Amino acid sequence: MRDKISRLIRLDRQSFLGPDSADILDVCCAAIIGLGGGGSHINQQLAHLGVGNPAIVDPDKVEETNLNRLVGATEEDVALERSKVFAAERLIRAVNPWAHVISHKDNWQDHADELRSCDIIFGCVDSFIEREQLETFARRHLIPYIDIGMDVHRVEGSFSISGQVAVSMPGGPCLRCLGIITDERLRQEAQRYNAAGGKPQVVWPNGLLASAAVGMFVKLFTPWEKEIKFPILLEYDGDAQTLMPSNKLKYLSGYCPHFEGLHNVGDPFFGFRLVASDGAPLSKGK
Amino acid sequence: MKIRFKIPQELLKSVLENLRRRHVFAAERVGFLLCRPAHMVESGLLILAQDFHAVADEDYLKDSSAGATMGPHAIRKALQAAYNLNTSMFHVHIHEHSGKPGFSGIDSRETARFVPDFWNVQPTLPHGAIVLSKDSAYGRCWMPGEQGPAEISEFVSVGIPMRRL
Repeated sequence: MRDKISRLIRLDRQSFLGPDSADILDVCCAAIIGLGGGGSHINQQLAHLGVGNPAIVDPDKVEETNLNRLVGATEEDVALERSKVFAAERLIRAVNPWAHVISHKDNWQDHADELRSCDIIFGCVDSFIEREQLETFARRHLIPYIDIGMDVHRVEGSFSISGQVAVSMPGGPCLRCLGIITDERLRQEAQRYNAAGGKPQVVWPNGLLASAAVGMFVKLFTPWEKEIKFPILLEYDGDAQTLMPSNKLKYLSGYCPHFEGLHNVGDPFFGFRLVASDGAPLSKGK
Repeated sequence: MKIRFKIPQELLKSVLENLRRRHVFAAERVGFLLCRPAHMVESGLLILAQDFHAVADEDYLKDSSAGATMGPHAIRKALQAAYNLNTSMFHVHIHEHSGKPGFSGIDSRETARFVPDFWNVQPTLPHGAIVLSKDSAYGRCWMPGEQGPAEISEFVSVGIPMRRL
């Protein structure tokens, strides 16, 4: 009881989100896939918001080159070769000791059974192929998926920053509909596979995109905003310092042809797990 | 065993509209949700509703002992849909009140009779029955190999806003 009162006092300033918002966020399971520049910001904000069941997944360790943007990571983490999920979980527990944290220093695909029970997935991954896999997984299990991405491009001798935040709701436009995933991008990415060198990254665009993503999550789950315009695709122009709804939204029909049909939902191998080698359904304990 | 039932908000809306239509003689309507399952951790089960199969007007029987009684054609067509589309089937009807609904004695007795029949066409899938209220839901799920049904632990309407029923 004392814990609950402490928790509610802590969240008092955000009670305008709705009378049940603290409880809604407390029971919410929010997965963050990828705890780099973007994911670490989201992780911190969800902890402050009081999300009670965060699930954090990333296979990597904290490296020296991450410290320019990885929220919560320290020099000691680099020295001791700690994982990104270790740093993220430590941050959650420092802010929200009541959270039930699921953390895996691993590929998310190896924990699909756990991620299926999540209420939302934040995709903070680097590659388009992984985005596509993650969105497909989310759609298959009727889980809203929020994708963030940023890039630094060399344009005529200087550098330009861009990025986007997209919400992929079951039944609505997907990342292909929104033009984020294209066959051409997947092809180019496959050609660059194993290319040496890390992509340029900085802290503030990640923070800005992560904040927008968390804002969308709050709109989706709490009674705060009565009317939300969907679909959502925000485009970030780092040079102009603007985050605006994409013009692409004007030309979307709202219909997604990429994930329609019963065969795109649920576990396609469900029945196989329950059938014995002789073809008979498995009984309990068999 | 935790069983979570998810239904897209638009589908839920259309199901409620469909079931609220007046019938010539039946006091209420019933139908079936076409669903696909997925495993969760600790033997948990996720049921994902994707489409609705309405019982046709002519497939109700005149029966004063129940609000709606399905005739043999209604059951046969639902079995056919489960077979053709490789789906779990969840019988659905409405109790028009707010708050958590529950099964009546007739609901419990009749669903226990016909739901396991879906294993004749889809023996490896779970099937079940749910009752909707104006703002909530209750349901039972029959798993292959289990003796009786398990209660559905949680209902989620997937849309804007996301809502636990």
